[in-house]
Amino acid sequence: MVELTIDNQRVRVKKGTTILEAADKFNITIPTLCHHENLTPLGSCRLCTVEVIVNGISKLTTACTFPVEQGIEVRTTSQKALEARRLAAELLLAKCPTSAKIKSLAQEIGVAKPRIKVREEDCILCELCVRTCREIVGRQALKFINQGLNQRVEPRIDFLPDMCIGCGSCAYVCPTGAIKMEDKDGTRVVYARNWEKDFKLKKCKVCGNYWAPEEQLEYIRGKLNLPPDFFDVCPNCR
Amino acid sequence: MGKVVFSSWAGKTVDNRGLGVKQHAYAEDLGLPSGYDHTEAAAFMGWDGFVVWDEKVNVVDMVHAYIKEVQKVCCGECMVGYIGITVLADTLARILDGKGREKDIDLLQWLANGIKENAGCTFGQTAPIPIIDSIKYYRDEYLKLIKNKKAVPKSNYKVMVTAPCMEACPAHLDIPGYIQLIRNQRYRESLSLIRNGVCLPSVIGRVCTAPCEEACRRTQYDGRVCIRLLKRYVADWEMNSGLTPSSAKPRKSKEKVAIIGAGPAGLACSYNLALKGYQVTIFEELSVAGGMAAVGIPQYRLPTKILERDIELIQKAGVEIRLNTKIGRDLEMEGLWKDDYKAIFIAIGAHKGRKMGAEGEDNDYEGFVDGMKFLQDVNLGRVIEPKNRVLVVGGGDVAVDCARSCLRLGFRDVNIVYRRSRVEMPARKAEIEEAEKEGVKISYLVTPTKILARDGKVIGAECIKMALGEPDSSGRRRPIPIKGSEFVMKADMIIPAIGQQPDLSFLPDRNQIKLAKQMTIETDTTTCQTSGEGIFAGGDCVTGPAVLIDALASGNRTAQSIDQYIRKGKVTQGEDSKLESAVKGINLSEQREQEIVPREMPQITSQLSLKKRFGNFREVENGFNTEAALEEAKRCLRCYRVMVWLPAK
Repeated sequence: MVELTIDNQRVRVKKGTTILEAADKFNITIPTLCHHENLTPLGSCRLCTVEVIVNGISKLTTACTFPVEQGIEVRTTSQKALEARRLAAELLLAKCPTSAKIKSLAQEIGVAKPRIKVREEDCILCELCVRTCREIVGRQALKFINQGLNQRVEPRIDFLPDMCIGCGSCAYVCPTGAIKMEDKDGTRVVYARNWEKDFKLKKCKVCGNYWAPEEQLEYIRGKLNLPPDFFDVCPNCR
Repeated sequence: MGKVVFSSWAGKTVDNRGLGVKQHAYAEDLGLPSGYDHTEAAAFMGWDGFVVWDEKVNVVDMVHAYIKEVQKVCCGECMVGYIGITVLADTLARILDGKGREKDIDLLQWLANGIKENAGCTFGQTAPIPIIDSIKYYRDEYLKLIKNKKAVPKSNYKVMVTAPCMEACPAHLDIPGYIQLIRNQRYRESLSLIRNGVCLPSVIGRVCTAPCEEACRRTQYDGRVCIRLLKRYVADWEMNSGLTPSSAKPRKSKEKVAIIGAGPAGLACSYNLALKGYQVTIFEELSVAGGMAAVGIPQYRLPTKILERDIELIQKAGVEIRLNTKIGRDLEMEGLWKDDYKAIFIAIGAHKGRKMGAEGEDNDYEGFVDGMKFLQDVNLGRVIEPKNRVLVVGGGDVAVDCARSCLRLGFRDVNIVYRRSRVEMPARKAEIEEAEKEGVKISYLVTPTKILARDGKVIGAECIKMALGEPDSSGRRRPIPIKGSEFVMKADMIIPAIGQQPDLSFLPDRNQIKLAKQMTIETDTTTCQTSGEGIFAGGDCVTGPAVLIDALASGNRTAQSIDQYIRKGKVTQGEDSKLESAVKGINLSEQREQEIVPREMPQITSQLSLKKRFGNFREVENGFNTEAALEEAKRCLRCYRVMVWLPAK
């Protein structure tokens, strides 16, 4: 167990707990965007920034990535922390002004309109899609490529069509709507601004409804070692 | 360093503005790069501040040039850093275009501070510091540009990006870069970045002495990042996935280059030249390629198949290796010119054992085998009859390798005798510890003075005890024999391993190629040219016994020189190496702001259990599994340092 202070409360939590998890346990809410409790934290959006005092030195850090340490003091609503959050929110809103999720988060944090202009894009590189595909679905159809010294790339999320099974989890977790999914006439299309892939949907032998992409069902069937005809019938008719 | 107009570095400020040159104070103790001063640079800007030597410098323009470089290195993984730096660059460009507004200064300050406080990595947190300084001390310059509403001309700056680990690496690998690619599971890209500087990634991932890890800034918090093992991870990943690197088709050039010696230096040079399109032939005396990596490092540290794979990939890049071909025996060096080779690179290593100076060492006694010869026999699979008691003489890696090999061959009682103490022992600490764990006994402050033999067979050595005196030229305390302390150590075998030197007997004309005092080849340190026209040299035959990464780095450097030599007929010191020397004297580890780093200890790998190590040469160290590699990759703080110089007019 580790003892620390969060907003003047002395608390004890398990070693390895992040600040965000510890705060949550004591009903202290910290805004988040790129965080998901079932995924490895990344610290990309910086909205969960808190002030941490370690050995008398005050610093900012992201609550989602920082594991608690004995004796630290965490301030989730200090002036310093709130200012940093506002800056992060303003940058995100400038990048992605049309996203409902970002607009409402920014408003919550106290930013109505960004005073800066950048090239607007719908993707904020939060990697929720990358992490979901890898950690939940067990595929790597989406991969982040970072910029770097002599790397001559812009940071972006690459789509690897051969790896995609059309499950649509990425579209589901995407906070800005940069990844979308549509089912129509027996076809599913999963797409973003610069990529798309069509999937043939499986028709239920009983009710005749299209109910899931064939590639996804094949993937699940292989993983669970199910009989070849297992998915001929949809769950509703089974 | 010279007199400065203004300097703000590492929190120290010298402000001589408006004083006139004569009154300018010196700024000798600022800890700035020593390679450039006012005679060469008008201004300098880097992660911890900036310096102005020439009053006329447009500081805002320099900030803009600097942030443009910062922008290229910024990874895009945290939004405050990525979007924030973009906005900084755009805003500065606007001001320089004469379209700035006064509130832009506040915007710059707000963003720069915000990034400094809350970027996700050390690079992001340190990069905005010179901007903050420039606004603090050169606010008027900003205001002037904004009020004039005129676009100002932009200057050209010299750029250098490095990091403490990159600078410590002789090959200057982009370490934070390839680690981050591992973190993003971009193993292919990571490995291709590694191959830019190291053509033997699986080898170096196993046996590198890793000076980068010693320079790692994470050491001051919880422990270094295991850089070497991360490199090994991606190299092994490629091999285990059955993949081969995709190599771009080089432009074809007819020019031929001859390389003498297929060791690390020769291979590195050949690989780089092949990628540039040259026809490269390596002449190798032994029946195997790899040099010291093949015959000097035992298989329990570096399995043969690992080395062979790296070499195979080099051959695939277009390098021809002629084994069993000794220059000076099978071919004459002079003849290479007639065969139309345009340049020769001598990289023969240092394989000849030094003499101990003990009586009887030249008597060819049975059981008296030089360390290098012994390791060569072991690695080439020649039969070695295990003896009862062996004395290995020396304290370097070769001595430890010999001793540990003896144990694996079934020698019962393995002893190292070293003339100084444990502290001075040059072998790697981890290697010494493993040797002791395995049962090697080490006697310190002892040296053999006479080899004892009966019927031409070694039966032991007369030894003398030593005491440590004043430090010698190597900086280590000099061993001094204690009179009357002679004693006898029994042994069936004695392996001297006290250092190696190159065997230069093949050189046709000693006058043509100058040698250094230590019987090594003398070269220009940056261009690797010898005194012979068109002849270059590198690796251990120039430096004396050194580590693998040094040899690779010298091979890389020589490839650049040979390319220049063939294309232009002469070699000049490149801008790269000039910049390289420019950062000498600067402490890359230091920065004004300390980050807070949660304690996460380095990942550890498993080792082959002790009892499985005898009677075989199985690899002792295991690599990271994927999980450990990803965890370890997350630990990198990314301490990139961006620097720009404005050359003096």
